[in-house]
Amino acid sequence: MVDFLSNYSIQKWLESCPQGYLEDTIYGHGADEREPEELLQNDDYREQQIRTTVQLIAGERCALAASSGLVNAAPDQASKTFLATQTLDEGRHVEIFTQRLFDLGVKPNDLESTIATYINPHLGKFAEVLLEKIDKKDFVAGVVGQNIVLEGMAFSVFEMLHAGAEAANPKFARTLSGTIADERRHVGFGENRIGDLIRRYPEKKPEVQRMQRDMTKHMLATFHEAFARNGGPAEARPSAPQKGKPAPTYQGLNMAEASNEEMEGALSATVLKEFKTRLGRIGLEYQSPV
Amino acid sequence: MTEADNPHELGEAEFRATVHSFEFWFEAVEGYLHGRPYGVSPGLEEVDLTERQRDGLITTLCNYCVGETAALDASSGMIGFAPDRGAKIFLATQVVDEGRHLEVLLHRMKQLGVADPDAEIARRANRSLLKFKDRLLEFVDARDWEASVFAQNVILECLEFTVFRHHAGTADPVTAEMLRGIVSDERRHMGFGENDLGRRLLTAPHTHDRLYKIKRQLDSLVLDTFAETMGELGIEREERPDLAGDYLAAVARLGFRS
Repeated sequence: MVDFLSNYSIQKWLESCPQGYLEDTIYGHGADEREPEELLQNDDYREQQIRTTVQLIAGERCALAASSGLVNAAPDQASKTFLATQTLDEGRHVEIFTQRLFDLGVKPNDLESTIATYINPHLGKFAEVLLEKIDKKDFVAGVVGQNIVLEGMAFSVFEMLHAGAEAANPKFARTLSGTIADERRHVGFGENRIGDLIRRYPEKKPEVQRMQRDMTKHMLATFHEAFARNGGPAEARPSAPQKGKPAPTYQGLNMAEASNEEMEGALSATVLKEFKTRLGRIGLEYQSPV
Repeated sequence: MTEADNPHELGEAEFRATVHSFEFWFEAVEGYLHGRPYGVSPGLEEVDLTERQRDGLITTLCNYCVGETAALDASSGMIGFAPDRGAKIFLATQVVDEGRHLEVLLHRMKQLGVADPDAEIARRANRSLLKFKDRLLEFVDARDWEASVFAQNVILECLEFTVFRHHAGTADPVTAEMLRGIVSDERRHMGFGENDLGRRLLTAPHTHDRLYKIKRQLDSLVLDTFAETMGELGIEREERPDLAGDYLAAVARLGFRS
């Protein structure tokens, strides 16, 4: 365990993240990158992007509360220091997505009201299930909920958004690629650290699996409502500027042509497959909410 | 120098948004951490320590670890009840700073031949500092923002700033460079405490009396910690630096007189 945790030290984090893939970025993107003019001038696009970004902020606020709350519950110094890096990663994500709202024209004074207007209520319930475990300082459930379920969901959502934005919005795509790199590290820690704890405390399994089931239920409801309201990523639509590149694809679907149901199905299937794989690696069985 | 280079030229809201950001943190730490793994330049050579010096240094580092663990647990816990986004993000940067301090101190202990740092810390921890840690975490558990910021970002940071700065002046080169990096972080943390509480005191002067009472409780633990630390380092009474005076002056500069 000590060797594995040494890969998650703050020194390694400093070298690979702020001094690595974030070097020369401002709020996660290149200094000269901007939101596309076409997006800023189209009220429909802009509102869709604001709605999407609000969900990212809500998810990252939950992750910040969860990772910081877990530091105090961590059973060893190495886990504490990893969670310290995760806390700052999540704080950075809150910051860069908040900045994106400002870039999309939201005034700082309107930030909280904009979030309240657009937040998906199911995402709020998803966060409540996790934060209840954090409040109880339940390290095992907290890390599974945060680093496997929440981060696993975020990872797949970011990848889908990245696929949609890559051609049409390089600024947003670059911002997402930095967060994807962070999430990959967080998921890796969760898998490696918790497998050992689940083996040591098998009596925790039913409670943790119940939490996973409840979080999954709210996640799927979040996806359903988001696709029903917003559809797929705005930049992937047929009318979006693709800068002469072919339409983006996600899980084999042409994102410009796929229906909302198809996109929702593709994202849900991707996340659930990831959950099953990752939960299996730590000795837990995926619990379907249906 | 432009406004972006000098945040003190910004308006209050913009100033806070700037200094309580990941971007500001990274620009600040990059200067003194880049190319210095575990806070120390790779070419810096060790000097020979006597067994007594080595043992005293290990005890001191153990106590620094107690202080940094207290700061890590407290700053991370405070994010959950911080009053605004800027404070949460600043605290997230502080969490990583405190985690880094703990990591470099543990790394230094291993360089000094300590096989099981956790066991050494448990054996050598200073009782007054442990009491201080408990008191600080009580404020955090009670989600008492003013008391937590005061105990952590004013009192604990002033204590660490004072001790580390003095120690960096007399320590071996490797320990000294590591401590100077930590002191640079502490300045930023103290600045946050001063700024946050300063604004609160302007609008709620009665808060001062409450914080003053907390200070009186904590001062005795801080002063006992100094006395024990210098005893552990084997410094003769007449040769001891006036850490208590320096600490009280540092806290007074933040507006909290004895």
